[in-house]
Order: sequence, then C-alpha cells, then structure tokens
Amino acid sequence: MKESYSLVFNIKRFDPEKGKSWMQTYRIEAGRILRFTDVLRKINKELDPTLAWNSSCEHAQCGSCSVVINGRPMLACELLVENAVELFGTTVFTIEPIGVAPVLRDLVVDLEKAYDRVHRIRPFIIRPSQNPNQGQEYRISPRAMEGYLEATRCINCFCCATACMSSHRGFMGPNAVMASVVRIMDPREDATDERLQQLYSEEGVYRCHTSKACSHVCPKEIDVAHFVALAKEGEFS
Amino acid sequence: MSKMFKLSSKIQCDVLIVGAGGAGLRCAAHILEKRPGTKIIAVTKVSHPQKSHTSTAQGGLAAVDPQDRVDKPIYHMFDTWKGSDCMADQAVVRKIVDAAWEEIVWLENRGMHFTRDEEGRLSKRTFGGHTVRFGEASAFRAVFEADRTGKGIMDNVWGEALKGGVAFLDQALLTELLIQNDRCVGAVLFKEKTGEFVAVSAGATVLATGGCGQVFRVTTNCRQNTGDAHAVALQAGLPLMDMEAVQFHPTGIVGPGILASETLRSVGGILRNKDLEPFMARYAPKMKELAPRDLVARAIETEIREGRGILNPDHGIEHVWIDLRHLSDYVHSVQIPEVSGFFKQFMNLDPRTQLCPVRPSNHYQMGGIPTNACGEVQRSPDAVVSGLYAAGECGCASFHGFNRLGTNSILELITMGRFVGERVLQALSEAAGRLPADAGDRTYARFAGYLENGNEENIDQIREDMRRMMTENVGVFRTEEGLETAIRSLADSAERVRSAALRCRSLQMNQELVQRWELDNLLSVSMVIAQGALRRRESRGGHARVDFPQRRDEFNSHTLAYMTEFGKIRFASRSVDMSLFEAKAENHEKFGLIERKY
Ligand SMILES: Cc1cc2nc3c(=O)[nH]c(=O)nc-3n(C[C@H](O)[C@H](O)[C@H](O)COP(=O)(O)OP(=O)(O)OC[C@H]3O[C@@H](n4cnc5c(N)ncnc54)[C@H](O)[C@@H]3O)c2cc1C
Ligand code: SF4
Ligand code: SF4
Repeated sequence: MKESYSLVFNIKRFDPEKGKSWMQTYRIEAGRILRFTDVLRKINKELDPTLAWNSSCEHAQCGSCSVVINGRPMLACELLVENAVELFGTTVFTIEPIGVAPVLRDLVVDLEKAYDRVHRIRPFIIRPSQNPNQGQEYRISPRAMEGYLEATRCINCFCCATACMSSHRGFMGPNAVMASVVRIMDPREDATDERLQQLYSEEGVYRCHTSKACSHVCPKEIDVAHFVALAKEGEFS
Repeated sequence: MSKMFKLSSKIQCDVLIVGAGGAGLRCAAHILEKRPGTKIIAVTKVSHPQKSHTSTAQGGLAAVDPQDRVDKPIYHMFDTWKGSDCMADQAVVRKIVDAAWEEIVWLENRGMHFTRDEEGRLSKRTFGGHTVRFGEASAFRAVFEADRTGKGIMDNVWGEALKGGVAFLDQALLTELLIQNDRCVGAVLFKEKTGEFVAVSAGATVLATGGCGQVFRVTTNCRQNTGDAHAVALQAGLPLMDMEAVQFHPTGIVGPGILASETLRSVGGILRNKDLEPFMARYAPKMKELAPRDLVARAIETEIREGRGILNPDHGIEHVWIDLRHLSDYVHSVQIPEVSGFFKQFMNLDPRTQLCPVRPSNHYQMGGIPTNACGEVQRSPDAVVSGLYAAGECGCASFHGFNRLGTNSILELITMGRFVGERVLQALSEAAGRLPADAGDRTYARFAGYLENGNEENIDQIREDMRRMMTENVGVFRTEEGLETAIRSLADSAERVRSAALRCRSLQMNQELVQRWELDNLLSVSMVIAQGALRRRESRGGHARVDFPQRRDEFNSHTLAYMTEFGKIRFASRSVDMSLFEAKAENHEKFGLIERKY
C-alpha cells in the first residue's frame, strides 16, 4: 500500500472583480486517506491561501462541497486520495465548479440560485391531509414509507443536476422532481394534483431523457432516475 | 478608511434570526404560524440553510411519549439533572421536558419522516444516560429518523420557514450587535458573496449560530463553527456562561474527527483496547458502553494514557477500537447504515469484518450566551438585554449544565427555538429602536485592519497550532500547568496573528478574509474556555481537572465571563436554579446535590 501520493490538481479559477477565469496547476504531496477537502486545505496552507472552495460538515451529510472532478460531479469531502487514484487511474485531477449555478469565485458557486428549483417545488407539505389521530402523530406503516424513504436521504448536493444535461435547459432537475415525488407519495400530503401539474409542466419530467446519469453520480447512491421515471410513467395520476 | 467600508444598505424587519439551523428556523416557523406576515430575515453563514450543522445530527431526539406506560417526564428530568452534574437549571429542565412530546408531534405533523414500528407509531431507542425509575433501567426515549435525525429536523423546519415566507440571506456573517441603552436594535452583517456591509434594524434579534468546536483540532463540528456570535457578544460587553463545560464525544473517527454516533454503542458496539479487552466494565460496571459520554471519553483517554491505546500510523493519532463485527447484517444495514458506512468511506475499512479506530473528539459546547428560560439574553444574572434572544447550541439557559446527554441537544433546539418564538411574539409590539449612527464602525475597524499590509505569518499555521494546543491542554483532561500554558500560548497567537498579511485583498467572496476574522473569534472563545477552566478548581461533567478530581460544592454556580479586551476577563457567577428540589414535591430528593455515578 502506498503511503503518500504526488498529486497534480488543475483547478479552474475565477476572479469576480476582474471577471477573469483561468486554469491553475498545483503540485502537492498527500497521504493516502486524506479527503479532497483536506488536500484543498493543504493547498491553502502550503501553496495558495487565495484559492476559494466550499464545504461545511466534511463528511458527506450537507452537500456543500460538490465539484466536478475529471468530468464527474462529486463531493470533495468523501473522495479519498487513494480511491481517487484508483477510480480515475491517474494522479492528475482537473477540478471545476458545478455548472448549475453562477460561479462566485474559483470553486464556489451561488448555491442559492441552484436551490431556486427546489424551492419552486415547495419542499414541505403544502396541504396536510386529514389526520384521524388529531393531536398525535399520523399512523404510517413502515411498508407505506418504503416506496419513498430512499428519496428522503437526498442532501441537495446537485451532483445529479450537474450531470443531467437536461437540467440546464429549463428542466427543474432530478433532485427537485424527486423532492416533489416524495410528498406525492407521502400520505400526509393532500396537494397531489398541484404537484403533478407542476411535474408535467414545461420545466417538468418530460425534459428527462432517461439517461440515468443522475443515479450514476449520486453520492448517496439514490436511484434518482427511478423517482423521475415514476412521475414520467404516470404512476400517480 | 477606504470607501469600501460603508453600509451598502439598511434593512428593516420585525425579526432578525442570525443562524438558520434547527433552533433559528424552529423559532421562525413558530412566529409565522402564529402571526402570518411577520417580516423575518434569517441569516446563515453557510451556502444555504439546509447546509446548517443540525443536518448532521444522527442519533435521535429524547422525548417522553405520554402514551408510554413505563417512562415519565420526571425520569427524563432526573436523568438530565444527574447528567448535568447538578448544574442544569431545574426550571429550564422542567419546561423543556414537559414540552418535548408536543414538539415531536409538531415535527411529525409537518412532514418529518420518523422511523416507525409495525403499528405505524414512532419507534424509540435507548441512549446513554437515559433511564426509567431514577436509574433502574434504560429508557426507550429517543425517537429518530434512521441515523439522520438532524437532517429530518433541518429539512422540516427549513420547509416550514420557507412556507411561512422567511427571507433568507445566505453566506452572510453577523459581525456586530447594535445595542443601545440595554436594548438590541439589530445587527451589522457582512455579505460574503458581494463583500457588502448591511445594517439590519429589527424589533427582535435572535442568535442561533450553533457551536464553536473548531477551537479544537479533533472535532465533530463543521468548518463554520468558529464561535462567531460568542465573540461578537463578548465585544458588545455581554458575558458568556460556563464555556469551560465542553463535551468530548467518546467516539470520533480517527483522522477527520467525524462522529461515530452513540447508536453504535446502543446497538451493541463494544469498546476494546489494544489487548482487545472490553474495558468499559472496569469504569462503569452497570451501564458499561451506555454510560454518559464524558465517562466513556475519560475511560478511553485513560486507556490511551496508560499505554493501552493503538497508534494510527497515517494520522499519528492514538485510539482504541470499537468492535461492530458481531452485529447482524440487519443492524449494519438498517440501524446504522450511515455511521457504519463512515468507516468504509473515510478510513477505507469494513466494520463488518474489521475493528474500527475511535478516540474522543470535541463535540459540544454546553456553555454559551446566557439566557433565561424564555431565551432572553442576560447581561447580568438579573438583567436582560431587551430585544435580544439566543437559542440552540450558542445559547445557554442551562438545560445541560456541565454535561449534555445524547439526544438532548436537538430536543433543546426545537423547544428553546419555540420558546423564543413565543417570547418574541409577546414583545413585538414594543417599537424597534433606531439604528445608532456609528453602526458598522467596529466592523470596519476590524476588517480594514485585516486588509492592511502585514508580514509573512501564516494564518492557517497559527490556527492549526492553536487548535492542537487546545486539544492537548484544554481537552478531556486539564491541569493548572496545562491551562496556564494554554493562556500564554493564546496571548502569543493573538500577537502573531495581529500582523499576519492576507494575499487576497478583495472584500468579495474572500475566503481568506473570513478565515482571518474567524481566527480572532476562535482565539477569544478559547481564551474564555481556558481561563474559566483554570478558575474552576474542581471536576464536574465535561470539565475534568486531574489536579482537582472531585466535584466541590463551593463551585456550585455558573461561570459568567466578560471580555471586552482580549485576555482581560472579568468573572461573575449565576446561581443554579433548583426549583424542583425546593418545591418539596414527591421525589424532590432526587433533585438535590446528588452524586453522578452510573
Ligand atoms: C456530528 C454531530 C452529530 C450530532 N448528533 C446529535 C444527536 O443525535 N442528538 C442530539 O441531540 N444532538 C446531536 N448533535 C448536536 C446538535 O446537532 C447540535 O447541537 C445542534 O444541531 C445545533 O443546532 P443549532 O440550531 O444551534 O445550530 P446549527 O444547526 O449549527 O446552525 C447554526 C446556524 O448559524 C449560522 N451561523 C453561524 N455563525 C454565523 C455567523 N457569524 N453569522 C451568520 N450565521 C451564522 C450557520 O450557518 C447555521 O445556519 C450532534 C452534533 C454533531 C456535530
Ligand atoms: S435520467 Fe432524466 S433526470 Fe436523470 S440525468 Fe438523465 S435526463 Fe436527467
Ligand atoms: S439525489 Fe443524490 S446527487 Fe441528487 S442532489 Fe440528492 S444527494 Fe445529490
């Protein structure tokens, strides 16, 4: 087992004041189980404090550090150096910001803009259904939840939306579709019709080409395309 | 001062919520349910509210189900009091415990995807330190959403806040509180994305900025938890309370410090030392792995200090093992999928067949900005700052005293968030004050200082040195000598950092600038922790002094620390509320100065 790797990071940079973007190369030595976020921090400390990148929890629970590595959208915090070398078969990595929102600086994008799509599907219960146990919890059997529980694990990292070419052209994107599907399947939601109308609108599921790129890149290994397909196939109408 | 230092705008709102995590948005949701149309601005430092740290809470949320025939609120109160090492405020404990189940129903009715039992009711599990009949047996008291309970809460309160029409301000920082005549009239914010300063005038300002775990090198806390609001409060002349009460989670994953949840122990994970001995039996014969976290953390640290730890060559960090190999596939894949997955993900090993390395990791700040039971911020033990509130981990009404029980924190956030909402609604009719003419001046002075030319000092290096030093000297075990070293070292670091230069001189989306500001906050918070720890010559809850191993009654009060000038601290104290004991009702003796033994 190799203890340490000599890496080359080609990072796409952007300076908002000059409106200028360029590729910059960093050469850095990194231990085998460092995460890519650790490597970026190492670059800040040892080579270039001005390089901006985003993260928060750094253990794949918040979805803030999504970047495109050698063409593939991923969470920088869960990619270990030795796994990256194995996955891509190289020690040279090109790192770019995700394409679903405007770049603020270097690898940092304006995630609020990407979230606009999720906000539009209204990620909450729009109209609660009648609860027979007033003042208590709804009774929902684990089996009734099985169909959509997987989808509730989504952390809105937008890796799927980045991979999904369709989402750049007016499509609300796979994660937004899925968030709405969750509520359609949730027995506590009554506003199913409104939700379906939106899913079948201009920005809705018919823009999906069933390429399944979304499922392929999801760091949470959610079969996103399955939920998009459920809506597309008219499962709920 | 250059012309970049000016207010780009002044905004007016009813309620300014600083920190859009679980506590902040629960508060917002309550206000909007009761008073639709209230103008609320919620600010977050991260790139979107859903990225707030509440999303990472794994294990669960303690609440006594009124339908439960075994469990009772009084047991939960007792466990919390005992766990706190007799430092929780009993009025607060009672208020939160009594409101707990209502909050669970609130969350469930609004769409949280709690894990259910076969009958469709909410499932419950046990957690360290939670018992029935005053310690007789483990209580099934924690409701949960698989091992992503915090995410369930976060998604839910964010959704409700959005539904109610909160205006969000993402990637903006609170840099200054505006207080005039003991009334908070709003705050100054720095908008990271555009590099602009704005002043917000608000009828109520709610601080809900979370923890400050970045003070320590090995921590479960996110990158943004740098104690900003704590430092800003100090600068405004307000005290911090009980900051020496820091919780170290017994099982951080070696390396990144990621939390391996309590759940691993509650489903049957066994801690072993280098001889593979299940050593917890020696430290807590009855509760073993399920003993409260500070006991488990000290047990592990003792094993390591006495030479029974294992050295991880990659990270140069000593640890013990948690053994999950005997657990069924069902447990691995259904009860602990995310946590068990962390070992694969971040260490490249398989917990079904391999031992997993863990060590104590900084986890939670019990202390914080002092408040009363309604969440109103106190400037002294008997006076509040009107218009200013705090809830969640950054606040300290003292529900946890000197040690927090697992699953009690997210309970605290949602209940205190709501209580603050209730209090704000009562107070909103009081007119908001005018913004002071010098709003922003203190912020500009700081930021301008950062951008001036300096020398070659490396900010990242200073921060790293400081965090390592804090873990060593102000961590799981503390001594007078270590603490004095820490205080001197912090003063040195503050000196070094004063002249550090920034390479990026722009205000716009300048990560280096923000980190420079955060380092000032970390240094301030560290100083308060270290000096508080030095002054408290006893051991209690998360605060363990090797040179004073016993709890001492003379320290039976909360520490208040004021620091308007770095390093110069004025201490005061606040008494501990013992109203449950003093009420002399049935079982009141359980709420006296009891021993904390498991
Ligand atoms: C890994 C982990 C697991 C945990 N598991 C559990 C558990 O199972 N059960 C339990 O009870 N507790 C648990 N806890 C503890 C609990 O999750 C936290 O105490 C709690 O989530 C804090 O919530 P909060 O709302 O106070 O703050 P946060 O959710 O941290 O939100 C703080 C908000 O303030 C913002 N903010 C911070 N600084 C500024 C600033 N200067 N200006 C503007 N905004 C700012 C942040 O961006 C964020 O939006 C866990 C903690 C961790 C780290
Ligand atoms: S399957 Fe549909 S939603 Fe998924 S990536 Fe392909 S086009 Fe996009
Ligand atoms: S579905 Fe997966 S890839 Fe898409 S946003 Fe959610 S977690 Fe990320």
